Amino acid sequence: MNKSKKKIAQDPILILTIILVVSSLAVFIVYPLFQIAKASFFNIHGEFSIAGYQRVLRGGNLLRALTNSLRLAAITATLSTIIAYIFAYTINYVNVPFKKMFSGMAILPVISPPFVISLSAILLFGRRGFVTYHFLGMQNANIYGLNGLILVQTLTYFPIAFMVLAGLLKSLSPALEEASENLGASKLETFLKVTLPLTVPGIANAFLLVFIQSMADFGNPMTIGGNYSTIAREIYLQAIGSYDMQAGATLAMLLLTITLIVYALQKFWIGNKSYITVTGKPTGVRKLVEKGLFKNVMFGICFGLSAMVMLFYLLVPIGSFIRLWGVNNSFTTDHYKYVFSIGRKPLMDSLKLSLYATPISAFLGMIIAFLTVRKKFFGKRFVELVSMLAIAIPGTVIGISYILSFNVRPLALTGTATIIVVALVVRAMPVGMRSGITALQQIDPALEEAAINLGASQAKTFFSVVIPLIKPAFFSGLVYSFVKSMTAMSAIIFLVSARYNLVTASILSQVESGRLGVASAYSTILIIIMIFSLVILNTIVRIFGGHEKTNSPKINKKKPINLNQGGM
Amino acid sequence: MKKFFISIMVMAIMVVSLTGCGSSSEDVLTVYIGFQEDHAVAALDQFTQDTGIKVEMIRMSAGEILARIRSEKGNPQASVWYGGPADTFVAAQQEGLLEAYVSENADVIDPAFKDKDGFWTGIYVGALGFASNKDFLERNGLEAPTSWEDLLNPAFQDEIIMAHPGSSGTAYAILYTVLEVFGSEDAGFQYLEKLHPQVQQYTTSGSAPGRMVGMEEAGVGLLFAHDIIKYQEEGFDNLILTIPSDGTGYETGAVALIKDAPNQDLAKAFIDWTLTTSAQEVGQRTGSYQNLTNPDAQEPEKAVRLSDINVINYDPVKAGSERQRLLDKWDAEIYNK
Repeated sequence: MNKSKKKIAQDPILILTIILVVSSLAVFIVYPLFQIAKASFFNIHGEFSIAGYQRVLRGGNLLRALTNSLRLAAITATLSTIIAYIFAYTINYVNVPFKKMFSGMAILPVISPPFVISLSAILLFGRRGFVTYHFLGMQNANIYGLNGLILVQTLTYFPIAFMVLAGLLKSLSPALEEASENLGASKLETFLKVTLPLTVPGIANAFLLVFIQSMADFGNPMTIGGNYSTIAREIYLQAIGSYDMQAGATLAMLLLTITLIVYALQKFWIGNKSYITVTGKPTGVRKLVEKGLFKNVMFGICFGLSAMVMLFYLLVPIGSFIRLWGVNNSFTTDHYKYVFSIGRKPLMDSLKLSLYATPISAFLGMIIAFLTVRKKFFGKRFVELVSMLAIAIPGTVIGISYILSFNVRPLALTGTATIIVVALVVRAMPVGMRSGITALQQIDPALEEAAINLGASQAKTFFSVVIPLIKPAFFSGLVYSFVKSMTAMSAIIFLVSARYNLVTASILSQVESGRLGVASAYSTILIIIMIFSLVILNTIVRIFGGHEKTNSPKINKKKPINLNQGGM
Repeated sequence: MKKFFISIMVMAIMVVSLTGCGSSSEDVLTVYIGFQEDHAVAALDQFTQDTGIKVEMIRMSAGEILARIRSEKGNPQASVWYGGPADTFVAAQQEGLLEAYVSENADVIDPAFKDKDGFWTGIYVGALGFASNKDFLERNGLEAPTSWEDLLNPAFQDEIIMAHPGSSGTAYAILYTVLEVFGSEDAGFQYLEKLHPQVQQYTTSGSAPGRMVGMEEAGVGLLFAHDIIKYQEEGFDNLILTIPSDGTGYETGAVALIKDAPNQDLAKAFIDWTLTTSAQEVGQRTGSYQNLTNPDAQEPEKAVRLSDINVINYDPVKAGSERQRLLDKWDAEIYNK
């Protein structure tokens, strides 16, 4: 390690990179958060006042938004975790058909725009909803509010919990369960006394991840929240609707504090417990439940839920061809005409800015991963901490903090493409970074040291040795960044301008003014673009990532791209 | 492999340098628009056709535009604010966010519909109305409401929908109208307090309630009559338009120059253009039937004429100067209770 310390001093590119990384983290993450804190404690005249906090704690709408969000997050996280557990258990313990489809469900929420499910929920269960009005003949169905939110958030976020739990159950060694059954325990006893206790950390983990997502959710409450105000929506309304920056910043501080606490819980309290030792040797294959009532019930539940989610996603393309849902159900292509005459620009803007943000976040993620895993330098702890925290910062908090920070010179970035790209990078980079760190930790530094001893510079080593070795992580970071950028909403809704308007913001304004057909058409196009890009990117990965000879047997070359990493 | 990464790197660097530069905004005018999106797009196309000047726009509700101009005070992004009730313009003027500009074309406009110093100039006028869903009324054996008192009918509990006065100019016009109709602030607020439990939800945008009533998400919506007619044209033939007989308010849709804005000359040319007949007649082509302020412009046939209904004396200047105070009061005493 001494050797590498000495090397750093001789390597100007490395020093420059470190300075660049540290300063961009400081300017684009730490400074904006500092500005929020400042705005929440100082009124518009620059005098110190805790009026913002007093207003929240006094009760009324602002406090209600906070308690509402907590209640919603608790309910959604509980339901999502239960459903996800049933799914994960079925896939790992029961021999059911359609396993691929059930697993594939997990990817849907990641690639879909943020409020597709809300849109469908209105089309299905609204006053003129297909199910409520035509099917059940209800006159006064009200999907707006808490019940609607629980429904859409659970359907949107249970896949996140599913990813966590499926991975965990898969890695459980069947040996313990077999031992329990050989000792005469029933299936149920085995589950309650062996499997369940082993997965408690995973359950907590899944619960907390969904909890954070639900707290920070902005799109669904905007669409289907009705009068059930939630904190992310209220931040937006206070800041953008009435320019009450102190109230907005105060709420943002509270939301940030809560998510950071929950995230820290998840990271440090459970993170250390959830490692199940995998010896690497095959421990025998789990015997799956092949038949019986249990199998049929589990299959029924999974199939029913999957069908429901599918229905929700299918409804949006259908809705995009209906003139006026529930009022005039004739077929029309007008919504697409509208989108292609008025919505071309936001679509192109979204594509353009996402294409800018994607390579930047992917490379930055890898560079930070490389620095934190391999190098010792002044400010390393800072880089580690900040880039880790970035995962947990809710989008609305980023949005409002950027308005507060970059409105005035020297950093007058409002209305530019730069500020949107930066926001997209900040939102997507940490996930790529995390997979980069995981990948790098599995690789012996000796390979890089060899390159350096042979006279390669740090930069050359990074591009010729490190990146090729952690290709899967790099590419999944690339794909994730693109997907995340195309569907980002909560942060950029604060930053769009006449020059750069993004498609998600357009969808929201269509939903707001009730043009569900146009919103559905936009969403359909966006989903098609996402699927198309994923196919292209996957092809590229296969071309560039499949046939390289690597020197490390530890790397699983055929690793499929994993999109769902629980980033915020 | 290496080549591939180098090329990606080069691309990334190019991209960064491109974004870093940012295209110069010298020849493109930026406009914040407060009326409906399709009307907005048609108007800007017409402007570019008439003058050859390129325009970019973003549509927001009046309160959102005001908030945005405030937040961009040190570094204005847009040059013109086009459309939305004049009260919000007055609020902006009093905060020093607008620039006075008296267009030559404003001579023909009735002094009631413009600021004499040119801080804002009226482009259209439209009265407030009620949109009721025919099926909802029939099912419940109700009549469409024809007065503000009618809205308090217990049958309408949770069935009324309007926008939030903080974000929407339409909703603020409703709030101010009620105070005028009931003759005093106290009486008006007493009424608003009774109205609050009748309201199912407050939307962000002022025209959204009309669509929600058309979709039967609610029974009765409060919004501008011209927006209601627009929805009827779109195919919501289940909408019934009524005008409160005990007096209704109206908006003077305005246009204004933003203070310290870029491209002042283009912006002034734009404002001159908005007062011409060519600009004002665009609306009726997209189903927006406001009354027009240019007397030579062809009025839409379907417009609700102010002379045919009982309108209150709606003073946008007074409404604008009271805006923040009344909003805070409404927030504190009714919405946030």
